[in-house]
Amino acid sequence: MSATAPAPPAPASRPVVPPPGTWRLAVAGRSVLLERRAVLVVAVLSVLVLVAAAASLALGTARVALVDALPAALGHGEARDVLLVQRLRLPRVVAGLLVGGALGVAGVLLQTLARNRLATPDTVGLDDGATAFAVASVVAVPTSLLPSAAALVGAATAAALTLGLAGGAGRRGYRFLVVGLGVGAVLGAGTQLVLARAPVDAANLAFPWTVGSLSARSPLAVAVLGAGLAVALPAAVLLGRQLGVLRLADAVASGLGSRVRRVRLGVIATAVLGAGLSVAAAGPLGLVALLAPEIARKAAGPRAVPVVASALAGALVVVVADLLGRTAFAPVEVPVGIVTALVGGPYLLWLLLTTRTRRTL
Amino acid sequence: MSTWTTVKTSTAPVGPSPTAPAHPDVLEVREAPRADLRTDGLSLGYGESVVVQALDLQLPAGSVTAVVGPNGCGKSTLLGGLARLHAPRAGAVLLDGRDLARMRPRDAARRVGLLPQSAEAPDGLTVRDLVRYGRHPHQGLMRQWSPEDAAAVERALVAADLLPLADRPLDTLSGGQRQRAWIAMVVAQETDVVLLDEPTSALDLGHQLEVLALVRTLATQGRTVVLVLHDLSTACRSADHLVAMLDGRVVAQGRPASVITPDLVRELYGVEAVVLTDPVTGAPVLCPTGLSPR
Repeated sequence: MSATAPAPPAPASRPVVPPPGTWRLAVAGRSVLLERRAVLVVAVLSVLVLVAAAASLALGTARVALVDALPAALGHGEARDVLLVQRLRLPRVVAGLLVGGALGVAGVLLQTLARNRLATPDTVGLDDGATAFAVASVVAVPTSLLPSAAALVGAATAAALTLGLAGGAGRRGYRFLVVGLGVGAVLGAGTQLVLARAPVDAANLAFPWTVGSLSARSPLAVAVLGAGLAVALPAAVLLGRQLGVLRLADAVASGLGSRVRRVRLGVIATAVLGAGLSVAAAGPLGLVALLAPEIARKAAGPRAVPVVASALAGALVVVVADLLGRTAFAPVEVPVGIVTALVGGPYLLWLLLTTRTRRTL
Repeated sequence: MSTWTTVKTSTAPVGPSPTAPAHPDVLEVREAPRADLRTDGLSLGYGESVVVQALDLQLPAGSVTAVVGPNGCGKSTLLGGLARLHAPRAGAVLLDGRDLARMRPRDAARRVGLLPQSAEAPDGLTVRDLVRYGRHPHQGLMRQWSPEDAAAVERALVAADLLPLADRPLDTLSGGQRQRAWIAMVVAQETDVVLLDEPTSALDLGHQLEVLALVRTLATQGRTVVLVLHDLSTACRSADHLVAMLDGRVVAQGRPASVITPDLVRELYGVEAVVLTDPVTGAPVLCPTGLSPR
């Protein structure tokens, strides 16, 4: 092992060499490192999300020109367009963006924590828990704020059950996943039981929470989701840095000074927040939390945990799926949850069938 | 291998020192401050079972210590205890007289580095990406890439002889190269204590020697290096100090030449062996002749 000495550095103003493929921004001893590829991916995804949102605002039974859609959303343009876009379509697009973003974040966090790409809020039972509690709350006391709170409690309950029974998420990702499937099945059965025993009117009222749809959702639940995401996204970005080392192994992360238990708790809490509030806003959307991080990882590469890219990819998937569901079979509307399941299902199969040996996240 | 040295940018009170030079001189020859690592009545265990029992151990700085013993003797648990992975049941791990368990994890991670056995990297991660993670305890949200980070990563890559391979994905490397990359990650952490769990297992002889040469370099720089090894012959060849464990207790420790006897080998492994002396290094060489009669 022969080693050559590094070249003698010039004193004082030697510039700091950032790692290849990164930009380093430094001011007064503080420094931030940006992965060029990640920045590019976030920029491209942002543009795509904007285009998809504009298309979703413009297209439908009554059309608005694509270029007028975004200005109309901000209140500029013809009165008809503004009315159509702001009153009818904007709430739906905003709900789609928030739900997709929340699911993307929850998905990437859980997948990375469990070191298993199949471990998403829908597979480990969080969605089922949120749905069961939301439905139960609607059937019992139909008030407007309760579904959000109940869905959150439901998701937290499912997370606690899964974690408790699996003995943690970290070392045994597959076990976390299998237990989560079981917990989800039990809670799903609970939802069915509640619906079957409830009076028809109450069951009808609760039904929207069992299919993922953005049609006529509660504005309050969407607002609560927006507030939740405003907390969850920054938290997820911070957690993402820690998860970067946790990916290597719990012991490696501990050795590098990471507070593994705290990070794990934070990840679970953030995933519960994202999954629970998004179910309260739109019901369970199958496979978004699986697809979005996958897209983000493929695009952004393995260097970091792509939290922001996953949020954007999730928003993109949901808005596009909703647009398809709304327009492809018009006048019949296919709920967005069914579209994402239709697209995501084959992808999931492909993933299961083509994954050679074990791939780590 | 001997051309690079450790530069500590801050000593004693651990933490980013505002007076630290902005650009450390990479070539400055300074020895790492020697760490005084010892255990004081340390007991470790899982659930009901106690795996390591009331251990008093001193780990010499500037040398390679190998912890050996039969499977299940508690050697990996001991290493995990030294690395704060397991909270002590009783007693403490003391670093320069301070209880390691009471230090902030980040501060402890700037003094003690660990390479566990189970480490695994995401597909496509390059050598340099991995080595950069070693800087984690030195970085923060607003301190993501300091001059010290750049210098430390470069030094670690040079030490592990991986500079030409720095931008290759880990999954394209040989087993020995990959293991050196993992060790380089711990080297970039620039800790006084380096703990390696079975760093040579699953490597062929040539790759084992590559890794052990790197381990030797770390010790000559004044670091306290502790290895867990399941292979006694490798331990005899590569370590200055042997700690032999059985059932959670230390049964012998000292220089390999003075510790390794047929009696000890019988006690540890239930194996009869002839102990010879390596004509080149003077280290003991083991020739097992059979299982001991029960």
